[in-house]
Amino acid sequence: MSDAFHKKIKTALGDSQLRAALDANSERRLGAYYRAFQSLPESFAVMRQRAHAMRARTIADLDRYLDEFISNAEDNGLIVHRAADASQAVTIVSDIAQKHGANLIAKSKTMVSEEIGLNHALQAKGINVVETDLGEYIVQLRHEPPAHIITPAVHLNRSQVGHTFEEKLGLPYTEDVPAMTAAVRRVLRQTFLTADIGLSGVNFGVAESGTLCIVTNEGNGRMVTTVPPVHIALMGIERLVPTLDDLALVLALLPRAATGQKTTVYTSLMHAPRQSGDADGPNERHLILLDNGRTAMRGSPLHDALLCIRCGACLNACPVFREIGGHAYVDNRGRSSTYPGPIGSIVSPALFGQSEFGQLARASSLCGACREVCPVDIDLPKLLLRVRAGGIGLDPKLARKKIPFLVSLLMRAYTWLATSPRRFAAAQNVSAIFGSLLLPLSEWVRLPSFTGWGYSRDFPMPARQPFRVRWAALEKSSNLNEFDLKPGDERPTPPKSDMSGGSTSSLAAVDRRQLLEKFITELTALDGTATLCRLDSRSSSRSSQLLEKVLTLLTEKGVESVQLWSGEQLPPDLLSALGESGIRISGSPDPHAQAGITGSLAAIAETGTLVLTSGPGRPLTASLLPDIHIAILYSEDIYLNWSQVLNLKKVREAASAAFITGPSRTSDIEMTLTLGVHGPREVHVFCLVNDELI
Amino acid sequence: MIQTAQLFITCIVDTLYPEVGESVVRVLRRAGVRVEFPGQQTCCGQPAFNAGLRSEARRMAEYNLRILEATSGPVILPSGSCTAMIRHGYLELFDGDSTWLDKAKALAERTYEFSEFLVDVLAIEDFQARFDGKLTYHASCHLLRDLGVRRQPHELLSAVRNAEIIELPHNDECCGFGGLFSIEHPHISSAMLARKLANIQTTGADLVVSCDAGCITNINGGLHRQGKLPLAVHLAQILDDHEP
Repeated sequence: MSDAFHKKIKTALGDSQLRAALDANSERRLGAYYRAFQSLPESFAVMRQRAHAMRARTIADLDRYLDEFISNAEDNGLIVHRAADASQAVTIVSDIAQKHGANLIAKSKTMVSEEIGLNHALQAKGINVVETDLGEYIVQLRHEPPAHIITPAVHLNRSQVGHTFEEKLGLPYTEDVPAMTAAVRRVLRQTFLTADIGLSGVNFGVAESGTLCIVTNEGNGRMVTTVPPVHIALMGIERLVPTLDDLALVLALLPRAATGQKTTVYTSLMHAPRQSGDADGPNERHLILLDNGRTAMRGSPLHDALLCIRCGACLNACPVFREIGGHAYVDNRGRSSTYPGPIGSIVSPALFGQSEFGQLARASSLCGACREVCPVDIDLPKLLLRVRAGGIGLDPKLARKKIPFLVSLLMRAYTWLATSPRRFAAAQNVSAIFGSLLLPLSEWVRLPSFTGWGYSRDFPMPARQPFRVRWAALEKSSNLNEFDLKPGDERPTPPKSDMSGGSTSSLAAVDRRQLLEKFITELTALDGTATLCRLDSRSSSRSSQLLEKVLTLLTEKGVESVQLWSGEQLPPDLLSALGESGIRISGSPDPHAQAGITGSLAAIAETGTLVLTSGPGRPLTASLLPDIHIAILYSEDIYLNWSQVLNLKKVREAASAAFITGPSRTSDIEMTLTLGVHGPREVHVFCLVNDELI
Repeated sequence: MIQTAQLFITCIVDTLYPEVGESVVRVLRRAGVRVEFPGQQTCCGQPAFNAGLRSEARRMAEYNLRILEATSGPVILPSGSCTAMIRHGYLELFDGDSTWLDKAKALAERTYEFSEFLVDVLAIEDFQARFDGKLTYHASCHLLRDLGVRRQPHELLSAVRNAEIIELPHNDECCGFGGLFSIEHPHISSAMLARKLANIQTTGADLVVSCDAGCITNINGGLHRQGKLPLAVHLAQILDDHEP
């Protein structure tokens, strides 16, 4: 029993503002979750089984996949480090920082860094570490740990955030969420541009290609992995998938489960540091693979928790998390558990100690809502029960330490009674007699509060005659003529899964026009715009309409300076047309450019996603730093799904690739959607089409 | 065809709600089932299992396996949670012990929750029951999520004459019972119960039907403490109240 834990729980339950925030979180997130899974290309049940099998295979054979991953990553030019524990990981990061004389590290959200206490350790060495995810930035300003693995500031409302910004940043107090977001954009933009090192987590590593994959909505993940001269990626060794097709599978599940999105705004794939001739990107990319107890979990009773893809859906669905929030999950000394909620109540004892964290798993009614929403079908209640039974080693001694003494005594006495019908019947008798003597007329007992039950409930009096006594009479009355119902002729059909929503029909056969229409529908649903431009002739890649329409847009938006790709990467004559218009143009990263004009290697119809790769003449910053992103897309480059594009040679071979779905967005403050956090506020796509598609 | 079934009454129904057990027997008999009651039974062992006391839970499981092994026919429990304990929990307890595991699997295969047995095995949805008023249904967690029994209680209830079935908002949310959880974490458990009671209140139902005596105890205990009428009843009690 942990008094610290109970104390935190009571505090949380007494905080009405917190509970309102948690309520809103659960309701919004779960609603979005179920809507998002209806848009899956195939049934949720089928996909989660596939994802489960894939993750199980990966973890079962983790050593081999890790070797493959590391060897590919090193071939690609990444500097790979392995850290056995938190202190090794911290040392590796600080050594890299020292080598580069780094004073400022811009960091995107990584739970692994929370796990190893990285910020604190680096700050102790005089290195300024700035969180750049809006929610994470807010909790960092408040010196709090994240309250949720996906939504760090879930516990706060807009007025608390407004006061935090006023107090810590000297900003005028406001409750206007877009205004707060814009202010943070200005503050953190300087951090991105001046940071010596960008530090990120990794959502998935791909063994077959050595790819690092990061998903974000705000664009800070892209910033810290693109703009600073050095990038350090921090990754738990279990976050691997074997192939790019497997990556496509988890990328379909993770955003839906986490935030109810079909895809996040940005999916970054990173293979290598900046290559010679590349327009931007870090000169060095480090990957730190952290064990920190994961190997010990493998093959243990808690093995399956390693399948987790950290979507946070189990937190949103958990009725206990909904009442107490992430900060209530603490160790026996009252220190926050990095991972809260159902998955945290398994992972924390498994990684950081049964004695310290074992009590968390007891705060569950085992209702199974977590398992129901888990996109990789982890049997969380079963694992929670294993933590209760002693955790990673199912150690009965460790189990007993966490069981309240009276409960343990009661259970042992009960087992003694219940393994003998005579003793059991006698106990029933005694309790019934005792009850009727004590409260002869009442059917209910008012137990005192300290019993737990009596805190909010009365208890029914035991029956004077339990069922086993009444059975004798029942048995005698058994009258076979009583049968008055006939079984129906047909057995009912088996239940249909509630989650099987969504059509299974394949889009594979759709023609180019349908791909284009689908792409435009998805893009515009996420606040992007699409404009069709006719190519001058069937064989030409030139479009006079494009030149005209792009210039019109730039004029409308009052754009005076543009960062853009090089002339040969863009349709003919665009560069010269811009030059003649008098707009200031720049080919290299330009923090002052109001618009960025890029091509697009490919696009994904299913999610309205643009795919850009790094390379000579193709700065990724052009789609990231300016307020307005203008992308030019040839309609024949639209593909149906992620799998097709992830496997394209040009994507696999690029040092980095950015998958962009609409403007940068956040819902970190009171889940209020705000566009343009760190990346562009507007995304305009000009689709070049032949006559037949118009 | 007359078939024989074993009734595992569960410790809560045995001790607190024998009248539910009587309804279960009558309903099964009306469906042509010869009910036997193995007299040595006590408790499925779930409390110890959920507490984390595996050796105590295992003793209980072995005890029950010995008793039930000597019987034949389906084993029926008026509780989703105790059924789940036998069907899933026992397999977990005997994982790696093939002798006991085989016995546990054999028992799991012939174990059914009450409403599941009526609808899936007997294929009867209409018990010619009658209730003059409004009913709402609380989906108990283990019944719903461990056993996947969602549709069966609804089908049984929708055949009840004169009953108006009102959907309970968030009916699949936990009532906060969770066995020992309710006494180890009374504050969280009570907050969850408060939510459930508020949802029940909005339905204006005369009775809340459940298939689990744990939820019934929790819901009624909470209502009684608030000075309100206990509303939760077991499905068997509704089905037992039939037209002559």
